[in-house]
Amino acid sequence: MRDGFWTVIFPFVMCFWVWFVSRVKKKDKKKLCAWILLLASAVEFVVALGMVLCDLRGFAMEATEVPGVGGLGLHFMYSGFRGILGVLTAFAWLVTSLFSFDYMKSDTNVIKYDVFNLLTLGATMGIFYAADLFTLFFFFEIMSFTSFVWVAHRRTREALYASGTYLGVAIAGGMAILMGLFIVYHQLGTLSFDRISDCVMAGMDGVSLTWLFAAAGCMFVGFGAKAGAFPVHVWLPQSYTEAPAPATALLSAILSKTGIFGIMLVTLDVLPMQGRWGVFLLLVGVVTMVLGGIRGVTSSNFKTTLAYSSMSQIGFILTGVGMQSLLAEYLAGTIGTAGLTLTAGAGYMDSEAVTEITKVFGMAVNGTYLHMLNHSLVKLVLFMVAGVIFVQVGSYELNQVRGFGRRKPFLLVVFVLAAAGVGGIPFLNGYVSKTLLHESIAEYARWLELREYVSVVSSIEPVISASAKMMQLVEALFLFSGGLTVAYMTKLFVVLFVEKNSDKKVQETYDAKKDYASMVEKFAIGVCALPIPFIGMLPNLVAKPLAEYGLVRFGLSGLLAHHQENVHYYSLKNLSGALISIVTGVLVYLIVVRIMILRRVLAQNKEKGYRDIFPSWLNMEKYVYRAVFYTAIPFILGIFSRILDSIVDTVVVILRKTVYSDRALPYELPEGNRVTHRIGCTMERVRLLYYAMMRKEGYVPKNYTHKLAMKKTDLFENLRIIENSLSFGLFMFCVGLGLTMIYLLVVN
Amino acid sequence: MNYMILAAIILPILAGGGLLLAPERVFADRPGLLKVTGVSFVVSALLAVGVIAGVGGSSLMLFQLVDGIPVYFAVDSLGRAFAGIVVLVFLVAGFFSFVYMSHEKNERRYYAFYQITFGVLMGLCFSGNLVTMYLFYELMTLASVPLVIHQGSREAVMAGLKYLFYSFCGAYMALFGIYFLYQYAICAGVREPWHDFYISAGVVGFVPGGAFNMDAVVQSGNTGLCLVAVFLMIAGFGVKAGCFPLHAWLPAAHPVAPAPASAFLSGIIVKGGVLAIIRTVYYCVGPDFLRGTWVQTAWAVLAIVTLLMGSTLAFKEKVLKKRFAYSTVSNLSYILLGLSMMNASAFTGSILHVIFHAVIKSGLFLTAGALIFLTGRTKVNDFMGLGKRMPILFWSYTIVSLGLIGIPPTSGVISKWYLAVGCLESGLAGLSWIGPVALLVSALLTAGYLLPLSIRGFLMEPDYNAVRSDYREPKPLMLVPVAVLAVLTLALGIIPAPLIGFVQNSIAAALF
Repeated sequence: MRDGFWTVIFPFVMCFWVWFVSRVKKKDKKKLCAWILLLASAVEFVVALGMVLCDLRGFAMEATEVPGVGGLGLHFMYSGFRGILGVLTAFAWLVTSLFSFDYMKSDTNVIKYDVFNLLTLGATMGIFYAADLFTLFFFFEIMSFTSFVWVAHRRTREALYASGTYLGVAIAGGMAILMGLFIVYHQLGTLSFDRISDCVMAGMDGVSLTWLFAAAGCMFVGFGAKAGAFPVHVWLPQSYTEAPAPATALLSAILSKTGIFGIMLVTLDVLPMQGRWGVFLLLVGVVTMVLGGIRGVTSSNFKTTLAYSSMSQIGFILTGVGMQSLLAEYLAGTIGTAGLTLTAGAGYMDSEAVTEITKVFGMAVNGTYLHMLNHSLVKLVLFMVAGVIFVQVGSYELNQVRGFGRRKPFLLVVFVLAAAGVGGIPFLNGYVSKTLLHESIAEYARWLELREYVSVVSSIEPVISASAKMMQLVEALFLFSGGLTVAYMTKLFVVLFVEKNSDKKVQETYDAKKDYASMVEKFAIGVCALPIPFIGMLPNLVAKPLAEYGLVRFGLSGLLAHHQENVHYYSLKNLSGALISIVTGVLVYLIVVRIMILRRVLAQNKEKGYRDIFPSWLNMEKYVYRAVFYTAIPFILGIFSRILDSIVDTVVVILRKTVYSDRALPYELPEGNRVTHRIGCTMERVRLLYYAMMRKEGYVPKNYTHKLAMKKTDLFENLRIIENSLSFGLFMFCVGLGLTMIYLLVVN
Repeated sequence: MNYMILAAIILPILAGGGLLLAPERVFADRPGLLKVTGVSFVVSALLAVGVIAGVGGSSLMLFQLVDGIPVYFAVDSLGRAFAGIVVLVFLVAGFFSFVYMSHEKNERRYYAFYQITFGVLMGLCFSGNLVTMYLFYELMTLASVPLVIHQGSREAVMAGLKYLFYSFCGAYMALFGIYFLYQYAICAGVREPWHDFYISAGVVGFVPGGAFNMDAVVQSGNTGLCLVAVFLMIAGFGVKAGCFPLHAWLPAAHPVAPAPASAFLSGIIVKGGVLAIIRTVYYCVGPDFLRGTWVQTAWAVLAIVTLLMGSTLAFKEKVLKKRFAYSTVSNLSYILLGLSMMNASAFTGSILHVIFHAVIKSGLFLTAGALIFLTGRTKVNDFMGLGKRMPILFWSYTIVSLGLIGIPPTSGVISKWYLAVGCLESGLAGLSWIGPVALLVSALLTAGYLLPLSIRGFLMEPDYNAVRSDYREPKPLMLVPVAVLAVLTLALGIIPAPLIGFVQNSIAAALF
């Protein structure tokens, strides 16, 4: 078990076992299945941890190949980064399956949930231990489909709607990734991560950067969608809200990280040292974090707020990835691409700028990495808390949830730890990672400003894609988003623990509830909350080694190892950033939440209630994506296709009507003859036309055809009578005589 | 001389003829008819498998049609691959129809023509020169018409006539090409291992890489006209493969046939057109002659147009079987697109897609047949909430659907991979990347038209006005074929290496 292969296969095997048990056993099968899930997660956790330990002890990690599967074969490998993500994944599964042990007890479909949970676990492990892009894609698709079942689990109308969006975005994203894979494979001839970066850095012949950018863009759509990055985040809020709480915890804590993982691989391997890509990621990251923050503040639903919080935090992480790319661009330009992967030599250390930027680079990398871990821990806690609340309250609406947390010390402690942790309050984990990220942006902005001011830009200096103004803006927005995080977390805190429910009776029942969560559930939440202060208070002891170990074999080890020094997290300079965020957050909370959102609800009891003030017409999912991709484009394509489809048929019909016309079948008119029918129809039409154009009143058909037919019958009847009469005979005789006389006259 | 080939072709035809001509009283009881038919199915299939496995020699000269043009059969890897899927789908759909056809009239006639069609298809797969192939190609059209018009309704008869009209249009276009190219056919110049029977194959025998003397064409200055002739052949045989603009018969004819016949038509008979095109382009004219000409571009453009059009119309279609028929139009054009690229990757992708699509599309039509058989309903939205009642049927459907979309670990993703990489490798300006994009857009639409059935089946509550409580999983004889195809879809995705190896080493390697 020297690589991730067995951790990938094991859940799939266990899944069959669950299926088998559910078929064979009659009694207690739900419980047994839950036990299997728990057991499988525990084994995964032990194995994943074991791999990290093996690696630390110096056992060589091997790469595994499963030839042939999917055409290209599956490849797995181990690296520090993967190892830690694998442990995190197994850990998250372990705690959520512990949690769901009680949480899903009353659910009727729990076995189905267990089966798909295991499948998703295997697929996620497959993603993290993948050694090439195809393996990544292979498991990414499996994961998308199995996690779809989570979102649709409740089978309500909303859940089905949300899951439809989820599946649509997932499939479209998967296809985009596949397109990216095609291009990469065509350009580089390989999909293995190691060789991709080698090929790109070596500048192989015939490799076009434009194509690689196109590939990266395609892959961003797919991975970004899973992560929840800005233009493709549309599925996120609804799906997070609709999935059962343990599933949401996994979606947010782990599945969003698979997207980030993909984007990081694209950034580091497919487009290493490309500043323009970094600028793009920075842009996306900033928009995501600000937008997520704003929607988080304005939302009036507990779980939706958390969902938008996830989106916002993903924005922070993306910003960090963008910073890595930007900083690497400068370093690569100065010391050459080779220098980045080599262990630190002496040759290029002279320049003070390089030392400086390398330090900043190290901060960006560590910050990104730590923030991924922190966000996972925090969101596990918060979504499980949301689940606990939902079981008791039956709703996620803030107005219903209000006051639930009062007199519940455990809930208070874990919620405050997690909320403050992600809000970046000093001495908790979020502070560490946010400080690192913020400092890297701020330092880079300062450095760029200085550089532009001194204007020592010589011809040797590499091109830099970012400008000082831009970086300053990013820094400001970063702090502002941090403030938004504080604001919406304060909102949730106040709702849960400070305010009382508007309905006194409800509040009483809330207060009386002591057994709101079982011991197992509390344990699951507590285990996740425990590391939060630990990381925050001992950053250099915990965070740094973790980050350093994670970066082994991530292409940057050598350089970073040399330049890493202990960051003084609690220096005045670093604290000031957090302070700005907190002050902003408090201000936003006071102005937006207290004044704009809290309004008097309908006369009930003069209490103020929460409402969603975000304009509903700005719903991108409904008015852009569904409208364009589900309605407009198929409609337009449909018109074209119908035309193309019927071209030949139309030609055939026209030919048959004209050149090859079949003889019309003779048919008998019910009354009248052809002449009266034609005239009648024509008159009818003329009258209709006249009514339509001149008189706007209702048209009553005159039935000319019938009248003319009657007339004709009358006429012909009369004629027949005349024909048969004696006088007609005499008349004809006279005519005959007359004609004879005229003839005689003419002849003579 | 190997009369095994002849037996594999003639026996099913004779069996079918016997069924057709036998007096009414012989097969008066249904079980007797089924027993006899079942035995003759198995025997025919075994004979065919024997030929595929290479029992005896691999070629058979039957007689000279006119001097120099013999009716000649030869078994090569390509023919083996096609014959293999024909046998598979023939058996699966055949046994399925034992249950399905109990609702239909004139069962005996159906089995008769079903077997005759099978025999003719064997002839098509094993034919060794262009004229023999054309002969069986026309026979295939004629033999399959009774399957289309089986129900005898006005709609069915009109669809059958449409099918005949379009097929003959195509066949005449192809025939013109054959007449024109005949003068450039060469008789010598090819050595081992084909050599032994190449001479006996006559002037229009199949040779990997091309049997025509294209230098003579260039010298005679008829290159332009020759390209037109080849294009007409491609477009003409393309009619059977549902290629735009002469595809309209397909969505009309396939849905009106009984479901197992639809599966056979959509899974196999359309592939007859593909086989004819491969034989023309890769075994007669030679890809080198066409590479880079307007024919290649026009062909690729037609394929791209068709595949997008087919998917869109399937997405818009509400009648289940018609939706699958449009899907066939689209998927056949994946194959044609791959063939038009004329490189090894795309060719491999095409052959793989021929195989995968045959499995998947038969699975889809058989599922549709089972649903129609059980519920008597035909619209896509009629099957809400049935997933719980018929889990195996719906799971099989879901798996083959994922296969058609191309989601790993099912097989569809493999053929799509080779097709797309082949498109990119071709280096055709613009088309090299429009092709993959069109494939992926079409895959998205595929997801849009296939998955709603399973989603509604599994997740939505049944409409209790329409769904009776006695809907259950279909009978084993109906369920097993569908399940087998689903398992195959999955298995070919997980262990595709032998198949890919066969296609690449035995078929593609000789051509490029």
